[in-house]
Amino acid sequence: MTIKGELSAKEDLVVEGQFEGTIDVAENTVTVGPQGQVKSEIRARQIVVHGSVNGKITAREKIDIRRTGNVTGDLQAAGVAIEDGAYFKGSIEILREGRAEAAPARPPMTPRAS
Amino acid sequence: MLARPGRSEAGTDPRSAPAPSFGLRWLWQYAQDIPRPCVLDCGPIRSATLAVLLGRSGRLYRGDLISPLKRPDLWDRTRKTPVFRTEALLAELPPVAPASLSIVFGWHLLDLLPREALAEVLLRIHKLMEPGGVLFCLLREPRLEKGADAEWELEGLTGLTRAREGAVAFPYPALSNREIDRLLPTGSVKTFLTRSGWREVLVVK
Repeated sequence: MTIKGELSAKEDLVVEGQFEGTIDVAENTVTVGPQGQVKSEIRARQIVVHGSVNGKITAREKIDIRRTGNVTGDLQAAGVAIEDGAYFKGSIEILREGRAEAAPARPPMTPRAS
Repeated sequence: MLARPGRSEAGTDPRSAPAPSFGLRWLWQYAQDIPRPCVLDCGPIRSATLAVLLGRSGRLYRGDLISPLKRPDLWDRTRKTPVFRTEALLAELPPVAPASLSIVFGWHLLDLLPREALAEVLLRIHKLMEPGGVLFCLLREPRLEKGADAEWELEGLTGLTRAREGAVAFPYPALSNREIDRLLPTGSVKTFLTRSGWREVLVVK
């Protein structure tokens, strides 16, 4: 069974089946369970993925892809963690306010073939 | 904090001690004027590496080109001589605009690729790199016979650790810098020798 549509809620959400559409749980946590298969854009405060997600994922706080997770898409969040063993193909953009980590002093340019 | 992987059954840690990498030091100094570089990591997921790169990147792309090399479906065995499906491997790359990447971490991908696929993969990565972009990779010395299954991770921007030493024999002869240089339309190759049997090679577009 696949559920299609737009899903919004004001409480935490756990997806254990197949879903296609958009999920908007802006102030809460979305958990995609090990059996969950989601083809959708997800927006939430925190997102935890044990199952499969195909689509853009945006979290105000953190995205956490666990070992069994399989994600294809673009991630945008203040923090992202992906466990070793998970599958992820896509891009990650960290939402931040601070500055870049200081880099060491610049060496002479123009590398030479060796 | 995620659990640290790589501990053996005996409870000892098989990872090499973190060593300062001169290649990485050069890389980050070279890229210091780019406040938020676009980075592509082509290796297996290592949470430690991810944390380091996310701290420095503007946008981090991930597409593992190394793990899929074990998949039998990457070889077309319907012909007399099996043919490597290079396009199937390259499908593991995420969508990236041409000439947009500042840094690519290729790890030891080039040592694992069938030689007939080397040029196409290298050219695809080269195409995605911006002018002045850098491909960081590790190439084995000819004397190093095993380590095809080695894995690395970053401990800080310039600390390189082998998370797995690797015991599997390399499938193809060692590559020389000249071979890499010949396959590239433009750019230069810079090499840092190490005692570990791996060269740190930086290809600058």
